[in-house]
Parts: sequence; structure tokens; C-alpha cells
Amino acid sequence: MMVWAVIFGMGLLVFLNRYVFLEPRLPLRLGSNARQFLGFAVPGMLTAICGPIVFMPDHQLNLQWHNPYLLSSLVAIALVVFTRNTLLSMLLSMAFFFLLRWWM
Amino acid sequence: MSSQLLPRAAFVRGAIAIIPLSLATAPWGLLAGSMAIEANLTPLQGQGLSGIVFAGAAQLVAIGMLKGGAGIFSILLTTLLLTSQHLLYGMSLRSVISPLPGRWRMGLGFLLTDELFALISAHDREQFNRWYALGVGLTFYVAWNLFTLAGIVLGKSIPGLEHLGLDFSIAATFIALITPLVRNVPTVVCVAVSLFCSVLFSYWQWGSALVLSGLAGMTAGFICNKLYRERT
Repeated sequence: MMVWAVIFGMGLLVFLNRYVFLEPRLPLRLGSNARQFLGFAVPGMLTAICGPIVFMPDHQLNLQWHNPYLLSSLVAIALVVFTRNTLLSMLLSMAFFFLLRWWM
Repeated sequence: MSSQLLPRAAFVRGAIAIIPLSLATAPWGLLAGSMAIEANLTPLQGQGLSGIVFAGAAQLVAIGMLKGGAGIFSILLTTLLLTSQHLLYGMSLRSVISPLPGRWRMGLGFLLTDELFALISAHDREQFNRWYALGVGLTFYVAWNLFTLAGIVLGKSIPGLEHLGLDFSIAATFIALITPLVRNVPTVVCVAVSLFCSVLFSYWQWGSALVLSGLAGMTAGFICNKLYRERT
């Protein structure tokens, strides 16, 4: 019973987090400062998701140059800069990562 | 005729666009299913987590906490901290989603994940297409639940799944989405601060590391932008 209460409670909380600012009756008008701030949401949030994946594989800090996550991320950035192709860079950097893991 | 066809075409384009990210999260979906069984949840409860909560990180942490005998209050508080980045996503998408009819707002709100935000946030009011967003969100929802189901069926027989390095595919996707955006100094500052804080806060094991480091990066970028504009 407790487990179902947790599941429905979590579901409700997560939905409220996602929905609250989408509700038009919420009296909130975003000024130009707020819009500028939110303009940084994509690079800011997506980077924050990547950081721990790249620098803390298996939940341990790894700042060494032969960390395959770090090397492959640098390869991914270089590929995007030089090819300007999102999908190609993604696939090639993943291939590089798995080759590197297999080889190391 | 073409206007009738447009929603379907947009939906299919969204469904295709999310396929790489859906596959990238496969290991976490499998893990969410198999961990639930391992923590003595029933198969229905394991599936219910993915079907009702639909938030990967929060699900995995909650299962771990249930297994450890944590109380409902601490689990809910942790969920709130772990998923608070969605508040920012909602605020950022407010201008395009809040004018939609109620069932669209509720539907897209329920489907609003990191991945959906990553794919549709670049769209302004003219580019935004509700069917494209629905295609992305619904496909991701179905994929996440199917991977969870697979994890439940396989149960304990997939050891070491989290050590295969499949999580790099999430990083690769997001890097490919972020890099083209980094074209000016404020964005460089935003990314650098966010990256530094995310590693530091995760190292300190803060529950809300994700949203706090994102906010720090956004604030740094915003301030830098202000200073930059005043000078020129």
C-alpha cells in the first residue's frame, strides 16, 4: 500500500513541477530580463546533465586525460564544429567512445 | 488536404527525431524495471513508476530509497529536489504551450522531460508545432515504458548494465545540441559555470545538484550578457 502511495505521490509532484508554469491562469508575466535569463536554459541545463556523466563515471571523479568519456566528449565537440552535422557527430563520437573502451 | 496531412507529418518527424535519445536512455529504462523487481516491488508497481511518474533519475533513486526502508516523506522531498529542473522547462516553454487548449497543456506537461525540452526549446512561437512536440514526447514515453517492461521481464539477469558506458550516448546527444549554441561570450560563461558546478555539486552528492548548477550557469550567462551589452 505504501509503495502505491509513493508512486502516486511522486507522480503528482513531478506533474506539478512540469505543469505549473504552463497554466495560463497562473498570474505570471515574464519580463525581458526573465526571457533573457531563460534564454540560457538550454545550454545551462543540458550542460549540467552532461557534467557528471563525463567527469564522474561510476560516481567517481575522474579528471585524467585518458578518461574515455572526456576524450570522446572532446571528439564530439570537434566533430560538431567541423562537420556542423548534429546526427553525424553524435553517431561518430559514440562509435569512437565504444572503440576506445574496447581498446583501453 | 495538405493541412490535414501536416499534423501527421509533424508527429512522425518528432517521433523520428527522438529515436536516438530514446535508445540512449534504454539502459536506464531496463535498470528502472529490473531494480524495481530486485527491491521487491510487484511488476505492476515497477511499471506504474514508469507509467505514472515518468522521470528516470527520480525513479531510480526512489527505488533505492524504498529498498533501504526510507519513509514516504523523505522520498517525496527527494523527488521534488531531483525533478525541480522541470519548473525551469515549464517557464521557458510557457510562451508556446500556455496558449494551447487544456488537454494539450496537460498532455505536453505530463510528457515534459529533459529530452523533450532539449528537442523543442529552440522553437519560437512560429516554429513551434504541437504535433511535433507530441510525436517527440509520446514516442519517448512509449519507449521508456517498453524498456522498463523489458527490465521487469528480464529481472535480475542483467548484471553490470550500468557499467557498460551506455550513458555516454546521452552526453554525446546533448553535446551535439549544445555546441552549435555556443557562439558568444555569455554562452561560453554559462556553459563553463554550469559544467564546473555540476561536477562539484555531484561530487558533494547534493540532491538538487542538477537544477542548482543549471541555475548558476544561467545566472552567470545572464549577468555576463548584461555587462556585455552595457559596454557596447
